[in-house]
Amino acid sequence: MTTVALLGNPNTGKTTLFNELTDKYAYVGNWTGVTVEKKMGKIKHSEIEVVDLPGVYSLSPITKDEAVVTNYLLTNRPDLVLNVTNASQLKRNLLLSIEVLEFGAPVIIALNMIDDLKRTGHYYDFDTLTEQLGCQVKATNARNKEGLDDLRTALLQGPQPTGKKLQLTYPFMIEQAIRQASQQLVSDFDLTADFARWLTIQFINQNKSIRAYAKHMQLTPLMSQAAYYDAQKFDDQIFQTRLTFIEQTLNQASENIASTSHIQMTAKIDKWITHPLLGLPVFVGIFFLMFKLSFDWVGTPMSDLLDGFLSGPVSTTASHLLTAAGAIPILRSLVVNGLIAGVGGVLVFIPQIFVLFACISLLEDSGYMARAALVTDRIMQMIGLNGKAFIPLIIGFGCNVTGIMAARTIEQPKERLITTLISPFMSCSARLPIYSLFVAAFFPRNQALIVLSIYFLGIAVALGMAKIYQILFNVKDSSVFIVELPQYHLPRLDIIWRGTWDKGKGFIKKAGTIIFAGTVLIWLLSSFGTSGLVSDIDNSFAAMLGKGLLPLFAPLGITTWQVISALFTGILAKEVISSSMMVMFHTANQTGLIAMMARYFTPLSAYATLVFILLYVPCFATIGTIKSETGSTKWALYSVVSSLAIAYGLALIIYQVGSLFI
Amino acid sequence: MALFINLLIIALIIGAAGYQIYHVIQRAKRGKCAACDYDCEAKKMMTKAQKQH
Amino acid sequence: MLSQTAITPTTAPLHIQQFTGLDEQTVQRLHSLGLTVGSALVPVRFYPFHGPVIINVNQQQIGIRYTVFQTLIGGD
Repeated sequence: MTTVALLGNPNTGKTTLFNELTDKYAYVGNWTGVTVEKKMGKIKHSEIEVVDLPGVYSLSPITKDEAVVTNYLLTNRPDLVLNVTNASQLKRNLLLSIEVLEFGAPVIIALNMIDDLKRTGHYYDFDTLTEQLGCQVKATNARNKEGLDDLRTALLQGPQPTGKKLQLTYPFMIEQAIRQASQQLVSDFDLTADFARWLTIQFINQNKSIRAYAKHMQLTPLMSQAAYYDAQKFDDQIFQTRLTFIEQTLNQASENIASTSHIQMTAKIDKWITHPLLGLPVFVGIFFLMFKLSFDWVGTPMSDLLDGFLSGPVSTTASHLLTAAGAIPILRSLVVNGLIAGVGGVLVFIPQIFVLFACISLLEDSGYMARAALVTDRIMQMIGLNGKAFIPLIIGFGCNVTGIMAARTIEQPKERLITTLISPFMSCSARLPIYSLFVAAFFPRNQALIVLSIYFLGIAVALGMAKIYQILFNVKDSSVFIVELPQYHLPRLDIIWRGTWDKGKGFIKKAGTIIFAGTVLIWLLSSFGTSGLVSDIDNSFAAMLGKGLLPLFAPLGITTWQVISALFTGILAKEVISSSMMVMFHTANQTGLIAMMARYFTPLSAYATLVFILLYVPCFATIGTIKSETGSTKWALYSVVSSLAIAYGLALIIYQVGSLFI
Repeated sequence: MALFINLLIIALIIGAAGYQIYHVIQRAKRGKCAACDYDCEAKKMMTKAQKQH
Repeated sequence: MLSQTAITPTTAPLHIQQFTGLDEQTVQRLHSLGLTVGSALVPVRFYPFHGPVIINVNQQQIGIRYTVFQTLIGGD
């Protein structure tokens, strides 16, 4: 079977191309580092396997995900390499192409995003490029599916003889060094001439992965010369030789074409988006708009319709059917008051959650994320985190577990630990249902604003804690901060829908598993007491638990035991807080619950409760992830205790200070 | 008989719920990807790799 | 050279003077982005309080830290 490796700079549209060529869907985003591991797929209707590798700037890795590519080339021998490049930034893309061409496997270079290049009034003569680079060159635009048929045909045909292979001539001293070492490698270690030459050049060029490989394989011809290579600064000369070659090639191949009516979309948008002073307000504004859409304009009206349907027709029909079928009252109570009210009570939030996820997917696809990292960098720098650490935190908005997983890309162990510990403060989507319930009840006019404030409070607490940890652990920021700002894309509906579905399906799955289980648990706790089945919920186990802790929560403005019991079941999964409240307040629908809650809360105590819910103990899944990622129960336990203390402290301050004014 | 079926259904629902809670706690103990319900690309690849070995 | 720049620069083009003083990884990454001594560099945006700087090099926009920017244009 033929294997094609997809390789190129970050954000050149490799994954979009991969999705178009193969029958498999992979996650796409317009930001650097979407592909952190390699992905496989097959070209439609063929036996050709395609491997999508993470985007890299060169074969010399700086981070772990970049090492994936070099290690892939060392251990696999792809039959063909498809080098995807950004046509309008060919100069630096070709730096990687040269490294790939030197590797020796047949290469096809795809000049992707070709229309971006055309718009600038420039084009390249493909024959000259083919001749100079010694490989096939194809023009594509993966987003509009241009040139894909041609590329697919070329891939199906496999490697084609293209004349002379590219072999750059480096300065004399380097060539001599390469020749000596590679000849020994060929004779003593039985390597092919191409591979030996490539290995030597990479070794001289201080590629850490290759140096480790040479040490591991005990390639003495290279190891013995390392000090000499480094002292001569050969790596600088190699870089210069490559760059000179690229500039010459591009000058030869460059053509001017009539510039298409060029609307500088990116420039126009960036005038506002990356504005030095307005950048941060715009960042906040975009989030505000997201919550407006989710809570005011689109999400909530749809949720209300769904709620009306579930609590009305579905609930009554189920009740009637159960009575007709001869179900005893307790089973009816379990199904109608427990499952339909509880699980259904969480499911009605699907529209809101999906609208929010669609917005996040839109941001990812458009190219905004890189800008967000940039406008927030000054604040992150103050805290001592890299602007890029923002990305795992944003992922935490979906689910804290994935956020903590994404922190793996952070090289420095201490920085990674900090990011792991602050991740649970990011408000994950599972907390949305309970926010939604509270804001609908107490802040009907400012729903989006209140939710926005909760989200930003979460970020503020996370960053504040990061600063404290940074001082405690004595961390110095050492990571590289260089962000590329991609051109904006017009959003593509199918990509946004796939992104939304990818993020949202977990929520639906949870409804059938843990939310269902939590609901049954709370139904049991609230239906039984020491005397067995109880008719008055005030005598149930749930009431005993809640009432016992009530004095502790009174300073936060929480005066009803139901909320406290709901907080306990919420540790299973945060969505269960809302379903537990539905079950314990015995209401059939949201409207009923809202009316009921108005009796126990003031807007101030409701806000303090929301803050407590935002920050208190992470869910089981997150605790488990912290434990396994840090490798210690101690940190997991610490996370539980510290977040509980912070939640209590902040909610207390908000309620007590607020009481003085309101 | 009817009462028995009623009780059986109740037992089934509670049993399923109990199993789910047990399952979640077990998965959380194993940690990392097992702990979360989001079926992301990375997770799919990992489960696939585990099946192959 | 292409004349298109995503945001019309208000400052005259500068040239990269040096990479000395930057850490190895930053230099490597900047090299990979095609930056070299002598490359024309147009600062597009400065963020307040010595925040990051957006520069335009080879028709691409890159955000870098202020200190890195200072080093590149030959400051201290």
